Amino acid sequence: MRFLSAAARQIIGLFVGDWLQSIVVVLILAAGWFAVSRFGLPALVILVVLLAGQLVWFAYAEGLKQSRRRSPS
Amino acid sequence: MGQQLFIFGAAFLGSAVESTEALTIVLAVGLTRGWRAPLLGAAAAVVALGVLVVAFGQLIVTTVPESALKLVVGTLLLLFGLRWLHKAVLRSAGVVAMHDEQHAYEQAVAQLESAVTTRDWVGFVLALKGVFLEGLEVVFIVIAVGGTGHGFPAAVAGGLVAAIVIAAVGVVVRRPLSRVPENTLKYGVGVILTSLGTFWAAEGMGARWPLDFVSILGLAAVYLVASRMAMTLIRRPQVA
Repeated sequence: MRFLSAAARQIIGLFVGDWLQSIVVVLILAAGWFAVSRFGLPALVILVVLLAGQLVWFAYAEGLKQSRRRSPS
Repeated sequence: MGQQLFIFGAAFLGSAVESTEALTIVLAVGLTRGWRAPLLGAAAAVVALGVLVVAFGQLIVTTVPESALKLVVGTLLLLFGLRWLHKAVLRSAGVVAMHDEQHAYEQAVAQLESAVTTRDWVGFVLALKGVFLEGLEVVFIVIAVGGTGHGFPAAVAGGLVAAIVIAAVGVVVRRPLSRVPENTLKYGVGVILTSLGTFWAAEGMGARWPLDFVSILGLAAVYLVASRMAMTLIRRPQVA
């Protein structure tokens, strides 16, 4: 049973490190699905920029959090 | 041909990273408790993973419509790749400790030494669990990378060759592969998988990429620049 729950945790953990970030990525893709079919290439470019932007934002936020944890003063 | 090579390379690199982690566990068990049980455990895990690849791979490729497959697998691949990339950025920026195979090896040995039983099943279960759980990532990479781009055989070959190469190196050196630049590999593979995920998710939405598969290189460049930007921002001294 413990093995199965570890396997289930591992499978979810493959895709989700931070739930908020995962939700944001899915929302960007959902918006992209709507926009790409109507606006074509410009929407595709915005989709990629948003995905790259969220990577910068969440990594930066996590970096700040870790740095503050290291030096609480 | 270029696409098949790309799929082979992505599956090979991604699988090599995970195979290195699985090898560390098998080595830790084998060198402290003998080889029979961990080798049997690893073999059982490899068989179970092989069944998963064949069953799910064929099922997914033959029954799910291509656009839905691209959208779902692309989204999952994007989430998977971003997770690796996110971690690699934090490690490269120095805010999270680097993954260290020597440390992982010592942890596994300590875990084994605390197990007072001398029965072989402890080594068997530890090797089975380690190889199976690390192997799940290999299975996902192989199915996701190969299943959507008509490159399933190339992806399976990439995964198999990686596992064989890492196992062979492990047999020769008989100690954790701490010199494998695992964090750098994970960073590179993270960029590739994130780019592939974006490419397929968008194709699943009905988008047509300029230059088709070649645009993955452009996507990789965008994610590379974004990750470097994140590292620079994190390393920048904070103003109080």
